[in-house]
Amino acid sequence: MHRGELLAVVGENGAGKSSLMNVLYGLYQPDAGVLSLDGQPVRFKSPRDAIARGIGMVHQHFMLVPTLSVAENVVLGREPTRHGLLDLERAVREVSATCARFGFQLEPRARVDTLSVGSQQKVEIVKALHRGAQVLILDEPTAVLTPQESDELARVMRGLVAQGHTVVLISHKLKEVLGVADRIAVMRRGRCVAEVRAADTTAEQLAALMVGEGPRAPAAAAPASAVSQAPGEPLLDVRGLQATGDNGRPALRGVDLEVRAGEIVGIAGVDGNGQRELAEVLTGLRSLTSGSGTLLGGPLGGLTPAQARTRGVGHIPEDRHHRAVVKALSVEENVALGRHTRPPFAKGPWIDFKGRRERTRALTVAYDVRPPDPEVALRALSGGNQQKVVVARELDARPRLLVVVQPTRGLDVGAVAQVHAKLREARDQGTGVLLVSLDLEEVLALSDRVYVFFEGRVTGHFPRHAFDERELGRRMLGTLEPGHA
Amino acid sequence: MLEVIHSLLFSTLDAAPALIFAALGAVLSERAGVIAVGMEGMMRVGAFCAAVAALTMPTPLAVVMGMLAGAALAGVHGFLSIRWRSDQVVSGIALNLVALAGGTFLLESLYGPNGTPPIQQLTRWNLPGLSAVPVLGALSGHSAPTYLALLLPFAFQGLLTRTPLGLRLRAVGDKPQAVATLGLSVSALRWGAVLGSGLLAGLGGAVLSTAVLDRFEQHTPAGLGFMALAAMVFGRWTPVGAFLAATFFAFGNALRIGLVSSAPGLVELIPQGVLLALPYLLTLGVLTLQGQRSSAPAALGTPYEQESR
Amino acid sequence: MPERVRQLLPSVLSVLLALGVCWVLIALTLEPGTATDAYLQMLWGGIGNWPAYLDGAAATVITRPLGESAMKAALLTLTGLSVAVAFKVGLFNIGAQGQMLLGALAAAVVGAQVSLPGALHVPAALLGAALAGAAWAGIAGLLRIYRGVHEVISTIMLNWVALSLVDNWLVVGPLRGAAEGGQSITGTAEIQATAVLPRLLGEGSRLNLGFPLALVAALAVWVWLTRTRSGFETRAVGLGAEAARAAGIPVARRMGLAMALAGAMAGLAGAVLVLGTEGRYPGTLGAPYGFDGIAIALIGNNHPLGATVSALFFGVLRAGGTRMQLLGVHKSFPELIQGLALLFVAGRMVWLAVLRRRSVAPAASAEVPRA
Repeated sequence: MHRGELLAVVGENGAGKSSLMNVLYGLYQPDAGVLSLDGQPVRFKSPRDAIARGIGMVHQHFMLVPTLSVAENVVLGREPTRHGLLDLERAVREVSATCARFGFQLEPRARVDTLSVGSQQKVEIVKALHRGAQVLILDEPTAVLTPQESDELARVMRGLVAQGHTVVLISHKLKEVLGVADRIAVMRRGRCVAEVRAADTTAEQLAALMVGEGPRAPAAAAPASAVSQAPGEPLLDVRGLQATGDNGRPALRGVDLEVRAGEIVGIAGVDGNGQRELAEVLTGLRSLTSGSGTLLGGPLGGLTPAQARTRGVGHIPEDRHHRAVVKALSVEENVALGRHTRPPFAKGPWIDFKGRRERTRALTVAYDVRPPDPEVALRALSGGNQQKVVVARELDARPRLLVVVQPTRGLDVGAVAQVHAKLREARDQGTGVLLVSLDLEEVLALSDRVYVFFEGRVTGHFPRHAFDERELGRRMLGTLEPGHA
Repeated sequence: MLEVIHSLLFSTLDAAPALIFAALGAVLSERAGVIAVGMEGMMRVGAFCAAVAALTMPTPLAVVMGMLAGAALAGVHGFLSIRWRSDQVVSGIALNLVALAGGTFLLESLYGPNGTPPIQQLTRWNLPGLSAVPVLGALSGHSAPTYLALLLPFAFQGLLTRTPLGLRLRAVGDKPQAVATLGLSVSALRWGAVLGSGLLAGLGGAVLSTAVLDRFEQHTPAGLGFMALAAMVFGRWTPVGAFLAATFFAFGNALRIGLVSSAPGLVELIPQGVLLALPYLLTLGVLTLQGQRSSAPAALGTPYEQESR
Repeated sequence: MPERVRQLLPSVLSVLLALGVCWVLIALTLEPGTATDAYLQMLWGGIGNWPAYLDGAAATVITRPLGESAMKAALLTLTGLSVAVAFKVGLFNIGAQGQMLLGALAAAVVGAQVSLPGALHVPAALLGAALAGAAWAGIAGLLRIYRGVHEVISTIMLNWVALSLVDNWLVVGPLRGAAEGGQSITGTAEIQATAVLPRLLGEGSRLNLGFPLALVAALAVWVWLTRTRSGFETRAVGLGAEAARAAGIPVARRMGLAMALAGAMAGLAGAVLVLGTEGRYPGTLGAPYGFDGIAIALIGNNHPLGATVSALFFGVLRAGGTRMQLLGVHKSFPELIQGLALLFVAGRMVWLAVLRRRSVAPAASAEVPRA
């Protein structure tokens, strides 16, 4: 990379972007190979070395101590002292100066856990700059930001480059990268497969390079053949739905939507605009604060996860490790999870070992789970096979409404195709599917109708024949007044 | 009346230091994110080694031996929980059991059931001029650890809030990953805190043998290590808070003992058992009212793993 | 190496290592010959002196030691189960000691102050003890569920509250036994004959109904955890609470019930102690079987049957420990072995790393980061 440019590193999940950057930052040690800086080979034993050589990193998950102030976080590890004591006044002055130099607005005395996500990210950047970073690595910086904050960040990055800093942006959002980077390196399966000038390429070309086989994934390539016939009875009908997010702020601010039997309804939106909370409300994991709704013949208010399952709601959650599976349990126990009180998984209060084993065997064959061993602990399976177990379990329950969040994140191309096919199959058998995905292409490829979410509201509603990527994109960024196309 | 207050204060100041040191040790360890259930065992080892050492060397030096013994046990705790990321509670409990049984075994094998032979107690210092003042006179006539116990909490509080090291300790207890990404060593900071807590617990134990008593007794420290945990929680994981809580508990105890001898009628009214349970009941009450999450270090009990960014 | 063996090996090796270290300790403080003798005495004292019996000694040289071992093993099994059950739902029950005290007190009260026909009295006393232990543990469970108070801290506090209230107030105050024949006694009144746990091998051996009761309890807990829906839910909560919640499992109820069951087990231990051997709540119930339960459960890999095996082993050691005194080795010695074994089990990761180094190529073993 060159001084004073903005290099973007793109690639699919698991392509090795983050690992590369962690080596660069001294957190991981390279197994082989040489790292050169200003023409000299260097070897970073710890982040301390990297920092000393002017490299700073902003991690995807912020590395801030929430209980400390902005200034304390920034000076941590190189604290100004007077007579051996911490000189907090000087720290505040220094941090203010750094902020002023780069045009950040931050209150140095504020406790970090009181700041918005966007501000916390600025603290991270200030932290690196304060240490004299010439090279700044940002790992998936916009994943948690609102569109405005993302725009702001882009301005910040360009500003840094203009001041002679080098910025490395790791991302899988191609459009964003194209808009801001000078040069783009594409990674695939741990290798850098291409380097292009941003001005000379298009999103389509980049996508092809990332995937490595012609135009993108089968998902996008699959023709829209399998469009729903005629949607059936309404399964879900909500009006004015409101709910609060984990941070205590409103996440859903009055959502109206409907899902009918036999259709896939997509929810498009930038991460953090209420999609996750919607899925949680529908599966009984989060309570709504106001609004009304009917879910499979019952009220939506006061729904518990157990009730949701009894009514016929299936759930493929976003966070597999945390929410969908118990990795220390066996495959068959995970297949039973959530249905363990009903045949063929139980006989009265007892576990039906035989029934469970047979059903699991059948599912591992039907969904090509490898290894096809019901007794092995789930954690011994690859991520893709774990996800197959989840999909198999949820579809096997023959749900009337299936809530699916990011079903293909981190999966390889083959597994993605299989999951998509299974979702279409379920739709064709009359299940209503609500699909939440941050991957717009996935939403467009699968959905019969799409709602666009922005800041907890529906800002657009498109039937399949009216899909228009540009228009959807604008609605996702909230640049249009709410309305229906 | 003044005499009563004087003697109450005096016995509080005599008994409190062991608890204060152990509570400070617990705060040090837990603020760095390492659970301190092993305090009882470290105190016991400190008490035993100090008493044995004092048989052959000057008592102040024996106290240092006790501290080192506590730190040695803490070293085992650090080896298991920091180096090998074992469960911190399991490791602490194991050390308690080993110290309990090992102490008994060695004591009985070497000296018989009645404790070690008596040793030279630490010298008591009479502060000239102060001894004559009513009430304040209770400050005079204690051994060095008492005065240290009155100063150390504030020094420790200063260290925690006013120095770079303190900032780093607080950070490593709340978010070790943040500390690691800045190129600081999480394990070095935690090792320091754990060894420091061992020194303090050892000191607490040594004080029991060399200042409060004049030998190591079978049951030492008889749960004081757990009461130190209560003081830490009650003091909301701050050094001065833990100091105040420990002093309060020690005062309550002195009051109880005083009441038993001077006003047995009152003890009929409020049974001793209830008074004995009071520190723990109060601590449970505080936890119930405010919940634990509000003041405990965020990363308490979680081993730091580099891989799990 | 099969997974099951790999799970078991650290515990077995830890116990062996502890035995070895302690042998060296005796050899150093006394002499090597004595150490071996002491271990033999411990064995005969635990499982019965078979050589003497075969030489024609009375059967009591077998039944008496076995009775002592069984009695201790019963208590260790129950407190070990208490800790293990809580572990299964993801909670660390340090409070078995306090729960045991409450159970012992309840058993003593029901045994002495309630008059019931023989067939009902023992079950009633056991039930009372189980309920008392469950209630005491339930406090910690509720604090965890509704106030987020970590159970390690709350159970430690509850132990000391129980000790202070029971030993220093109730037993010496309101519940103190009436003077009998003009003599004042410490502790509560003697339990009625109907409440005594029957002895199984005659009066010469203290083996009583408590031992089979503990084994049945262990078996029942094992069956419950592995064969029933609610046991499955309990394990799922312990291994992944958030996934369990998403699967519709009532997480709070499972936690609360498992904690109550843990308390009930510890309470039963108290009842077995009072109804089987002590005959009343004595002035002070010194025996720290509740704390031992932590070691028993962890050495038994938190498995109900594993805990039982480890309880049997340490029961034998404990009973045999008294015989070691003949050779000048204090009877607390088996507790030291137990403590060291737990310490080595805590170093489980070290064991696994060592074992891996043996079975796989040496280079692949250095996976543990410099954390």
